[in-house]
Amino acid sequence: MASLAGRGRAKIRAPRRGLNGADVDFETTWAVLEQAFNEIHTKNASALSFEALYRNAYKIVLKKKGEELYNKVANFEANWLGNEVRTRIVRQLTHSLLTLTEGSSPSLAGSVERKVAGESFLRTLKQAWEDHQICMGMLTDVLMYMDRVYCTDHRQPSIYAKAMGLFRDQILRSPARQGSPDLINILTSVILDQIQMGRDGEDIDQYLIKSNVFMLEGLYESDQEAEDEKLYLQLFEPVFLAASAVFYRQEGERLLKESDAGTYCKEAKRRIVEETDRCRSTLSESTTPKIQAVVEDELIRNKMKGLIETESGVKYMVDNDKFYELGLVFELEARVDARKPELTKAMQQIIVDMGTQINDAAVAVSQAPPPAPLAAEDGEQDKSRPNATKQINQQTVAALKWVEDILALKARFDNIWKTAFASDQTVSTALTRSMSDVINTFSRGSEYISLFIDENMKKGIKDKTEAEIDDTLEQAIITLRYLQDKDIFETYYKKHLCKRLLLKKSVSIEVEKQMISRMKIELGNSFTLKLEAMFKDMTLSEELTAGYRDYAVKTSGADPKRVDLTINVLTAMTWPLEAFRSGGEEEREGRTQINFPGSIERIKTGFEKFYSEKHNGRKLTWQTNMGDADIKATFPRSRNGRPMTHDINCSTYAMLILLLFNDLPADKSLTVEEIQAMTNIPDNDLKRNLQSLAVAPKTRFLVKEPMSREIKPGDKFRYNEDFSSKVIKIKVNVVSAGNRVEGDRERKETEKKNNDSRSFAIEAAVVRIMKQRKQLSHSQLLTETIDQLKAQFKPDVGMIKKRIESLIEREYLERMDDAPVPSYRYLA
Amino acid sequence: MSSELTDYVTLVSSDGFSFVVQRSCACISGAIKRMLDPAYGFTESRTNTCRFENMSGAVLEKVCEYFYYKEKYQDAKDAPDMDFPLELALELLIAADYLDV
Repeated sequence: MASLAGRGRAKIRAPRRGLNGADVDFETTWAVLEQAFNEIHTKNASALSFEALYRNAYKIVLKKKGEELYNKVANFEANWLGNEVRTRIVRQLTHSLLTLTEGSSPSLAGSVERKVAGESFLRTLKQAWEDHQICMGMLTDVLMYMDRVYCTDHRQPSIYAKAMGLFRDQILRSPARQGSPDLINILTSVILDQIQMGRDGEDIDQYLIKSNVFMLEGLYESDQEAEDEKLYLQLFEPVFLAASAVFYRQEGERLLKESDAGTYCKEAKRRIVEETDRCRSTLSESTTPKIQAVVEDELIRNKMKGLIETESGVKYMVDNDKFYELGLVFELEARVDARKPELTKAMQQIIVDMGTQINDAAVAVSQAPPPAPLAAEDGEQDKSRPNATKQINQQTVAALKWVEDILALKARFDNIWKTAFASDQTVSTALTRSMSDVINTFSRGSEYISLFIDENMKKGIKDKTEAEIDDTLEQAIITLRYLQDKDIFETYYKKHLCKRLLLKKSVSIEVEKQMISRMKIELGNSFTLKLEAMFKDMTLSEELTAGYRDYAVKTSGADPKRVDLTINVLTAMTWPLEAFRSGGEEEREGRTQINFPGSIERIKTGFEKFYSEKHNGRKLTWQTNMGDADIKATFPRSRNGRPMTHDINCSTYAMLILLLFNDLPADKSLTVEEIQAMTNIPDNDLKRNLQSLAVAPKTRFLVKEPMSREIKPGDKFRYNEDFSSKVIKIKVNVVSAGNRVEGDRERKETEKKNNDSRSFAIEAAVVRIMKQRKQLSHSQLLTETIDQLKAQFKPDVGMIKKRIESLIEREYLERMDDAPVPSYRYLA
Repeated sequence: MSSELTDYVTLVSSDGFSFVVQRSCACISGAIKRMLDPAYGFTESRTNTCRFENMSGAVLEKVCEYFYYKEKYQDAKDAPDMDFPLELALELLIAADYLDV
């Protein structure tokens, strides 16, 4: 700069004086401008030269008269607005508009008149505002130099902003007449009134209202024009929201009273959409979320509970499959809270209620007295079957019904969830939790599920296609998924599977294996380990049997008279053999001492020899109470008095009993005691077998004296020469061999055993964890233990504590005395 | 009385020189831009002519030259310096202030 100035010092020509306007007279120049402004305001600008006006303003500012000019312009505007414009607007005010602000309830009769008056008021106001904007735009341009130089230098708001402020003060903030409210209040109530008409279904001029809203948005509380000081936000919006809240509160109550929940939902949804539309078309977009919140609060949040609980509420919808309405409820509540607490709560309640009904029904069925005895015509003889059999069937029916009901319940709610609740995650979790609550509160759940599978394996899948079987298995797995006490289920399943395998009740081994592999996927390897071992034993046994047959032929040659043997060698640990041991402990000793007749004994020792040659060091224990035998027996008068040979399939014990009578003259009889002494069959089994041989009408190979149902000491039996039957193959059912559902005593035993095995599982888990961690606080140990055992069952905290105590006693763990929280240390 | 926007506008100096310049160039000046704004309907916007009573032809010529210079090098990085006769410097500064360029 210095060099430039230095270079041109001599050459710079002084500007002509005319340019900086030394000769300007303020008053005359202002007069010119004022005249021009009047022209502008009366829309007469075409004859004016912008440059001339601009130059005049420029001159004034250059003469340091900027402030005067500024004030003059402001005065001019204030006068113009205050006199010309305001009177024009006030003229539009009718009495009805004035009274609106006083909050008097608008009478219906005046509504048409009010609407017209309101519209014309709004129109005039809008016109005034638009004119003002245009004029001020022109003025600002002409006075640009003033804005640039004077206003920025003196920190004055631009003349435009100033003029907007004047509009606010002169028009909106001034009372229409003496003692009446400000125009802005009238404006607000007019707009609200119009909106209310719109809500009631009348057509309103949305564009007109929108223009006025624009005006309010363009004006600010102070001349600083801070964003949050818009008149719209300051004055109009709060009033609007409050009025809406009142309206929707009443609307909500009215709807709740007058219509059912479905209609309510439809209405609420419509209102929300409507308000959003209104914000877009009539008010400001910025209000959309706020008014939505108001409507949601009033129509949904505050009413949801009532809505769900009304007669036609969610329960009704579920009962009547009103998916669309449920969907609406869901949608509405999802608006106000992503977790949908009310709806999920209601749904959970419904599931639990329905589930409890199912549970109760199952209990009722299982305990109901057996239906009128089918066997009435069979007379006394049929009563020989103990009622227990029927009781058992009853239980099976109950179990089947229970599982099916549970599945139906689940299917139903899954359907609702999919169609109505948009497959929502939170709802799904809640539903799942309720389902598992239902299943787990039912104490026999594990047993019933296993029973359900059992029944299907035995009969259910007989005539089904593969797809149907798949379906059944899947269903079983579904219920299983909810089950917490998986260890109990395992026990039952093992028991049932054991019976199916040994008694050859299973329809298809293939399907059994499928089921196992499904469980493996679902519950993990360790769960199915033992079940798979059972299958392995079965296959091995088949091989053994074949092997022994070859061996027998080799060692003693083919002998048609030799008794054939099919054997199942079972690993004692994996098979729940006690399932068959219904007689209690005394049986245990009895089993080994059973006296076999020679032919049978030979085979027994033969096999033992064969087996010990193959596997050294293993001990075979004969489970004679589980075996069965095929024997041929000839009765002299079986077929219409002619002799006939029958194939009889009966239990091993029954065979032993029958073999006794082989060596006996036909007219001789044996007492119970004698039979007992000769065979050494345990008391209970003996009685049951004798019952089926001498009492059951279709398999009465023996004659009992005296003829009665109970077997008493001293009763005599002899060969029944008069036995007759049309069929060749006869199967002897041992009474109560198929105990499918446990009695109370058995249940207690199972429970006890289960608790024992749980104790072991807990101890094992605790030791595992402690071995790894060395030291751990009590609460952490609890959580980790529960976590580890979750897959098998839900451990009881008290039980864990007891186990920890016991581990401390046995010096696996010790308490840490110096720890701030109760902690344990692992003792290696 | 042309109401449509022409591509060129005329700028007239106090001593009667007329300069026909591109509208886009002339509108570099905030004052001229508003003068020609058709929305308000001042005389200038209807005739597309602006008279400047306080600028000589020499000054206005330089101003127009600057308009073109400015438009040409608007976004260029290494614009060549524009040549200003020193004797006009002060008048040009006043004109620039007046025209808001």
